[in-house]
Order: sequence, then structure tokens, then C-alpha cells
Amino acid sequence: MELDSILFLLCAAPGVSGHESGAAETAAELLRQLCDSAETDALGNVVGKIGDGETPPVLLEAHLDQIGFVITAIEAEGFARITPCGGIDRRVLCGQEITLLGNEHVYGVIPADAPHLKDENAGKALPADAILVDTGLSQKDAALKLPLGSRAVFRTPPARLGKHRVAAPALDNRAGVCALLRCMELLQGRAHVPVNVLLAAQEETGGAGAAAAAFTAGAAEALVVDVSFAQGQGVSAPDAQGRLGGGAMVGFSPALDHRMSEQLCDLAERNSIAFTREIMGGRSGTDADRIQTAGRGVPCALLSIPLRNMHTPVEIVDLRDIEATAQLLAAYILAKGGEA
Amino acid sequence: MPLQLNVLERLCAASGVSGREDAVRGVITELLPAGAQHSVDPLGNLIVRKEGARAGAKAVMLCAHMDEVGLIVTDIHDTGDVSFAAVGGVDTRAYLGKQLFVGQARIPGVIDLKAVHLLEGDEKNIIPHTASLRLDIGCDSRAEAEALVRRGDFICFSPTFQAFGEGYIQGKAIDDRIGCLLLLTLLREELPYDMLAVFSTNEETGVGAARTAAFTCAPDYALVAETTTANDLPGTEGAARVCLLGGGAVVPFMDQGTVYPRALYERAMQIAARENIPAQTKTKIAGGNDAKSITAARGGIPTLTVSVPCRGLHSPSVVMKQSDAEASLRLLRSLWKELSAE
Repeated sequence: MELDSILFLLCAAPGVSGHESGAAETAAELLRQLCDSAETDALGNVVGKIGDGETPPVLLEAHLDQIGFVITAIEAEGFARITPCGGIDRRVLCGQEITLLGNEHVYGVIPADAPHLKDENAGKALPADAILVDTGLSQKDAALKLPLGSRAVFRTPPARLGKHRVAAPALDNRAGVCALLRCMELLQGRAHVPVNVLLAAQEETGGAGAAAAAFTAGAAEALVVDVSFAQGQGVSAPDAQGRLGGGAMVGFSPALDHRMSEQLCDLAERNSIAFTREIMGGRSGTDADRIQTAGRGVPCALLSIPLRNMHTPVEIVDLRDIEATAQLLAAYILAKGGEA
Repeated sequence: MPLQLNVLERLCAASGVSGREDAVRGVITELLPAGAQHSVDPLGNLIVRKEGARAGAKAVMLCAHMDEVGLIVTDIHDTGDVSFAAVGGVDTRAYLGKQLFVGQARIPGVIDLKAVHLLEGDEKNIIPHTASLRLDIGCDSRAEAEALVRRGDFICFSPTFQAFGEGYIQGKAIDDRIGCLLLLTLLREELPYDMLAVFSTNEETGVGAARTAAFTCAPDYALVAETTTANDLPGTEGAARVCLLGGGAVVPFMDQGTVYPRALYERAMQIAARENIPAQTKTKIAGGNDAKSITAARGGIPTLTVSVPCRGLHSPSVVMKQSDAEASLRLLRSLWKELSAE
């Protein structure tokens, strides 16, 4: 598996919270080649399975949805008004190219303010209720093609950055999805415990997808993969505890199962897999918060991939960290089956 | 001759931040018609002459600038990231969250931002200062970064060119590659008079290299083919809209660089009315261009600007309308003919 080409495929497929079908189709297609089965459920979750289907499985989870926008109005001269769906960084919006996901995909641009006018907006992020998209269509045509409530995504294509990094929209959390696919590839024919792979819908809007699918799975335990803050210019511990290229971040928090966390660290050391510890004082702010309280309760561990520029169209990850995360997950599953 | 969008795409794709216009000059030189004579002056201006049926009574210099706004590498850090400064009038908002390219080798980079989740209070609404920002080129160390980029390398916006909607075009550096295309288009036509066209350097920095080209060419008149800011968004009314996409060629009577000769302005508007060429003026005194430099060359050269109205000028995603460029082409052609024949 070429990690970068899989990641580029995943990042280019649109899947805004609540409308994950584009990303779900792409991910299910890839997952089907690595599992006994892969299905999409009523909420839009993609679930892949290996194993007997009787013993409670180990659940590997990554959320599938991405931040985006929702169309709230069609204005004069075919401008679409959009508002964030998920916590978008509004400082980067001026001049972004957008794909509007209406009855058809419509190209658009968020107008940039020209510096010539020295307007009152200089130095300020675009307010959430003032985001316009230039479609170049008449108001009538725009209204026909773009029903209100349609989603929209950044159109920035994924790109390589230096030797190991990738910059793209939706790396939160297609990087996590990519790590699970790679893990399943590593486990081909080697897993001796049943495994469910859950690519969950609606994390960015509250985690409904993971909560429901975790209940259905009836898992014995769950390992959640998401992204977390990487250090960089003006960003240091404790806000950001991961480093690009520093390996998987193993989460420690009152809300996570500390035995699983410690075991992951042991396995990483024993197998020479790069990792750092990420310490949190409470809930993790990931789908682990919802999965652990599903049904009778599910012990959870969290692995995070360090990421810069979260919730912008140029999120950055290091491919080596995705590989380390996949290796560590696979080591955990193999250890469950008796392999050291 | 109709406008060729594929040629505009090629012109816009070339990197030409002010002072490093070589790639753009290369593309334009390749596209010159047979029979056109060209030379490059000491400041890098490309001066093109093409013989027509006869010499005009008056020499008219057409001018469009080749350079574009961008950034320049000022420092490389131990952490492998890069500091930079703006070249020309670039708003910080224009390059946050965008793909950028460093130097002739086009090394990809993006600006690092503190995650929105970690910002407190009003920080989410405030654009950081340029001096505090770093460009991430995917390097972990100074040595790794220095193997890819050098101080003084220019940084260019990503060349995403796209025709969209009903006759609209989006691209970087449409300011002023559309002007370059208009001049190239005229040069390729059957000409009644000799034509003189200048593709200038360093317009965006205010250096105004067009002045030396005007000195060399010593024309009787100059016509600048440019772009200008339209602010015609929903919610903006009246004069604050400045000019409109779809409103045709923009002929200003004054901007922040030049007070245009009234007679030339009125003549342009009369030609537009007579020939049914869509034309408008600017309802705000804003912006400026090479007309400022040319007007004061030698003993003074009467100069007029014809602009294509654009949204998002000086950003990676400038938007123009094809019909406005066609109107500008027609108006430039007619003005040039009339002034040449005087």
C-alpha cells in the first residue's frame, strides 16, 4: 500500500458531517479489499469486519467526516452564502476555491478583499455569517443547482510537502482512516481475534455516528485513531505534545483505559515504533468519549496522529506517523492473539 | 482575433514575482508573431515593434506589466521553516491556508498557523502579523531547508486556473497577464499602422520600470492595459462597488497614481458609445498603475488606462469576466487606431 496515494484518494473524496457518502464510498471500496465484509449503516458509518462474528470484537475506529460548509442562501448575481459545518478556521477563507455539492458539483471562489480599498475588514477573519461564494451563475441557475442545505468543501488538491509531509484538506481524519487501512493490510491473514473497523460519521458535529455504531458492534474494547496538535512556530506543550515525525501519540486521560494506554507504550518500545505520550486532564474530545459510554461501556484507548493547521485546507501530517500508528495498532491486535 | 483562454492560462501559470519576470518574458517572447522585433531594456522591459501597413502619424505605446505580487524568503530557521516578506501589496489573508511555491524549482510550502482550537477569545477573528508567520516546506532542519531554498527566493501563489459559471475565469496573476494577452492579441492582428508594445517589469513594487521603456520609445501617447478592483459583492451598494464585472472596459478619470488627461478620457468614452463597446468608469479614486510612471517620462506623455474589472485582485484567486476583457480589447484597438492616425 502506497500511503500517500491512498491518503490523496481519501482526502479528495468529499464527506462533510451528515453527508459522508462520497468519502464513505471511497473508503468502503478500499476497506472491502482488506476485510471479510464492509457495509454502510443507516447513519452513514462504514463498518468492516474480520473474524467469527460471535466473540465480541476489538473495535478500531476513525471518524470519516470532515469539516465543511452548508449553503444557507442564494444571493443576487449567483453568489451562494455558506456557513461553517464544524469548527473551521475562518482566518484562511479569503480567496479559497470551493466545491459546492448541490444537485451537481459547482465550482466557486470566496472573494478575497483587494488591499487597494483598505477596507474595514483588513486584519480580520471572515465572520461566519458573511461567507459568500462567487459561482459566476445567474441567481436563477444557482438556485436550481444548489438547494439550500447542500454542503460545500475546500477544493484544495492534496500535495506532498518535503520528503515526508502531506498538506491537504480533510487530513482530520482521513489520516486516521488511512492508518486503519494500513493496519488491516499489516494484519492480513494474521489476526487471531475478531476485529471491527468503524469509519464513523458525524464526529465533527458531536459523535452520533460512533455512539450508535459502537453499541451495534458490542465490542470488548476499542482503539480510536484521530489527529491531534503538532508542535510548531508558536505552538508548544502542553497545548501541543506531538511532533511531526515523532510517531503515534498514545493518549493518557481519566476518560481512557490506562492499562490499554500502558500496553500500547510497552508494545511500541518492544517493537521500536516511534511514539510520544499525550496527556489530557479529562475527556479527549474525540469519538472515544462517545464509544466508551456505548451499551454496557467499552474500555477505550486513543492513538493520535500529530497534525498542523487543523481545520484549514492545508492541514499537515507526516506519513511516517501514519505508518507508526498502523504498526502499533497491528502490534496490539497481534498481541491479543498471542503473538508477542 | 478572439481572446485565447489557453494562452491566458499559460501566461498566468508562469511565475513572475516583481524583479524575476524572466519566465513570463520567455512565454511572451515565444508567443510573438512572425515579423515582430523585440528587445529587452536594462530594467528587463520587453519592447516589441511590429510593422503595419504604414507608420502612424503619432507613435502610441501600448503597455502591460509582466510582474505579479508574491512573497520573498527573508530567513531560514534551525527548525527548517522559513520567514518571508511581501513583494507588492499583498494582504496576509490572501496567502493563509493556500498552497505556495518557492523559487524556480517550485518547492511546495504552506503557512503554519496555530490551530483554531488553541486560540483564545478574539484571536480567532484576528489575522496574525506577517513577521510572526513561518512557511512550512516540510523540512526538519536548517540544512535540509537550505538544500531546497535560499534567502531571496521568491514565493509564488499556486497557479490554479479555472473557467467557471457563465463566462468567468479564476486565476493567479490575471493582474496583469490579461493585459499581456490583450497586447499579444493586438500584435497578432493585421495592422494598419506600426505597433509599439511594452511588457514592463516591477509595476507592483512601485519601481515603475515602464518609465525607462517610455524614455527609450519616446511615444506621443501611451495606453496602459490593466486590471482594476471591482467590489461588486452582495451587500455593497452604490459607489463603493467601484466598478462591476460584466460592466465592460473600465476607463478611469483618476486613480491614486494618475490624473488622466480629460480629453483622452472623453475620447475613449465617445469611441465606446459610438462603437457600442461596453465601458464604465471607476466610482472610487483607488489603485494606480504604470500610467503614473509613463506620464512623467521625458517631457510628459499623455497616457490613458483601459482596465479589466477584477474581484480579489492581488490574491491567488483573481476573478474576471471574459466579456469585459473582450470589451477592453475592442476599446484599446479603436483608441490605438484613432490616436495613431491623428
